[in-house]
Amino acid sequence: MAVTPVTVSKAVRPEDLEQYVMLSTVDKAVAWAQSNSIWPAGFGLACCAIEMMVLPSPRYDIARFGAEVFRSSPRQADLMIVSGRVSHKMAPALRQVYDQMLVPKWVMAMGACSSSGGMFANYAILQGVDKIVPVDVHVPGCPPRPEAVLDGLRLIQKKIRAGIPPAYELEKSKA
Amino acid sequence: MSIAEQASSPVVALNTPAVIPTPTPSKIDPPAGEDMLTVNFGPNHPSTHGVLRLIVTLDGEVIVGLDADIGYVHTGFEKNFEQKTYWKAIPYAPRMDYLGFFANELAYVGAVEQLIGIEVPERAQWIRTLFAELNRLHSHLIYLGTSGIELGAMSVFFYCTRDRDSVLDLFEMVTGVRMHDRYPQFGGVAEDLPKGFYDVCKEFCRQMPKNIDEYLDLLAGNPIWKGRLKGIGKILPEDAIAMGLSGPNLRASGVDYDLRRNDPYLAYDKLDFDVVTGQNGDCYDRFLCRTLEMHQSVRIIEQCLEGMPSGPVIAADRKYVLPPRHELHTSMESLIHHFKIVTEGYRVPAGEVYVTIESPRGENGCYVVSDGGPRPWRVKFRAPSFVALEATATCMRSAYVADMIAIVGSLDTVMGEVDR
Amino acid sequence: MTAEELATAVGQTLPGAVESHTDGVDMPTLAVAPDRLLEVCTLLRDGHGYNFLSAVSAVDHLGYGEEVAGYFGSARGRDINRTGSWGSPETPAQPPKRFAVTYHLAHVAGGAEPPRRVRLQIWLDDGVPAPSVVSIWPTADWHEREQYDLMGIEFTGHPNLRRLLMPADWDGHPLRKDHPIGGEPVQFTDAV
Repeated sequence: MAVTPVTVSKAVRPEDLEQYVMLSTVDKAVAWAQSNSIWPAGFGLACCAIEMMVLPSPRYDIARFGAEVFRSSPRQADLMIVSGRVSHKMAPALRQVYDQMLVPKWVMAMGACSSSGGMFANYAILQGVDKIVPVDVHVPGCPPRPEAVLDGLRLIQKKIRAGIPPAYELEKSKA
Repeated sequence: MSIAEQASSPVVALNTPAVIPTPTPSKIDPPAGEDMLTVNFGPNHPSTHGVLRLIVTLDGEVIVGLDADIGYVHTGFEKNFEQKTYWKAIPYAPRMDYLGFFANELAYVGAVEQLIGIEVPERAQWIRTLFAELNRLHSHLIYLGTSGIELGAMSVFFYCTRDRDSVLDLFEMVTGVRMHDRYPQFGGVAEDLPKGFYDVCKEFCRQMPKNIDEYLDLLAGNPIWKGRLKGIGKILPEDAIAMGLSGPNLRASGVDYDLRRNDPYLAYDKLDFDVVTGQNGDCYDRFLCRTLEMHQSVRIIEQCLEGMPSGPVIAADRKYVLPPRHELHTSMESLIHHFKIVTEGYRVPAGEVYVTIESPRGENGCYVVSDGGPRPWRVKFRAPSFVALEATATCMRSAYVADMIAIVGSLDTVMGEVDR
Repeated sequence: MTAEELATAVGQTLPGAVESHTDGVDMPTLAVAPDRLLEVCTLLRDGHGYNFLSAVSAVDHLGYGEEVAGYFGSARGRDINRTGSWGSPETPAQPPKRFAVTYHLAHVAGGAEPPRRVRLQIWLDDGVPAPSVVSIWPTADWHEREQYDLMGIEFTGHPNLRRLLMPADWDGHPLRKDHPIGGEPVQFTDAV
């Protein structure tokens, strides 16, 4: 097939511009970039951490969503995946790590224990991590399958691309 | 109590055995008056195997003070057990040691079965043995993967998670969930093995030894791996027993003790397997013990597949075991039994029992005290990782801070079990 | 070794130390006077080879057996030939004191020898401390700290007795029967 080379001398008409460039708004472009490179800060606490840990493995491959790099430092992370039961002793540490993350940041409450305390309705466990940090996505399960966590990640991606602000902004506007 | 006080305490002076560590084995007090740095590791740390907080005092690179602060994932399991009937409390058990989840369930279910006096059919024992060994593989694979990734061997992690997923496929085929199955029930197991399990498991057993040999190829002779692990974190055998270590931690120090062989439970007395023992008690021997134990686990699984007897998978005693659903349509007694078991719970005779099994981490014990009612009075779990973490300070005297990660990883602690 | 034999053997060297003995469902159980505990433990470790302390557990018996009435259970729990025993309130024997601290010991040695196990119990009232066995089995360190934290039993002679699992400023001892389960009230849910 013969390809007609584009000669530089010819000026591009405004009507033809869309054949050569992709137009978008800055917001949409930034959202596209953000959603495809969410770096999780794995806050692995208990059993859910094991299912979260295998996300980079070949079978579930979180890398295809751009989220393979689990950063240990909260300063470099976007998404805090609270995987496991949060005890009252751990809660201040969790809040501290959350505060150290830079905006924009999202929180996924992975599993039943971080969403609501799970099966542990007792003196030791915080009944839901949304009592101390604003949560964007709750993923049910005990523990949720890695596919379920990927579904949660996809939901966050959809949220970002739809332009919905992260949970802390929504809470600010509510309060 | 200082050492001087200890010497003059009113204890009958008999022959005391070999070296016992100094009075606070889990804490090293730093020497006073020197220029030292106190560093806090955790509780949120990439390499501390869960939420462990170590407060380490360093003199340069050498650890001169250590204090472990645990309790960050204390869940109050034992209190929750007292609130539910015996049957409804089974789901709490696997979530303690979440890597060796089947072992915890076995300990609890085995303990209550002894109190009740119910007999488990043979097929159920063999099925439980098969899954216990699959669970051991699961746990050791995760140990190997995380150990590798902490010391920089990243590819081992990916290989191990690949195999771990094969193990969990087998669990899912039979129980419906990957982790935290409620499979062991009082009197047997919840359901029989499905059709097709034999072939899939046989294929797994054919493939797995090759993968384990691959790990040995990658790591065992690797000079970097040996350099990071050999001679690090040595524990002498007498110290290991005095510190209460068990499982691969104890066997690596040279003590040939395995509850599966010494105190057989389930179907282990009918099976043929070797107990892998090390010599030096360092991190390298603990690694070798666990990896070679995986070969033995595959051997046991193959024997279970071949020798599995036929028969019922759960006891027929309707007072303790839910009747099959089709019976509820025809038999009034079954309906009543079902109703009683699910709502009120059955009474377990008053008494106490302590059952220990060989979990992937060591001696996992369950102490159940019953008051004759439908709910447990006290359930206490003896977690091997709790004891192994106590021994951390013993093996970290004068270690380098870089070795700290290797030592904590080699003891294979699971914080869910430590904190309960 | 049955409980009888073990109690006799211990009683020969330390008369009066063993208060009672039973053959439990799984292992011999000896009840020991709290002030003689260290002597008995040293004798068991050195003289009888129980070198492995498996677990230290504390049990709170406040309200033991009060809710048990009637029997729907196994043959072990009722005697059909004893008139009036079917369905009649079969309450278990009342414990002597509120707290029992239980030590599970084993004999661990290399080889295929089965571990001999024994259970030691001491009974304490609320507020009475127990002696610490850290000097005999160093592994008791954290076990005793945990029981102090969760049950409030003090161990005299422990080098480092402070809270282990709960936050350092926590009030109360969670596993005691008069400590509430905590958490939030959930509608339509009771404990079972």
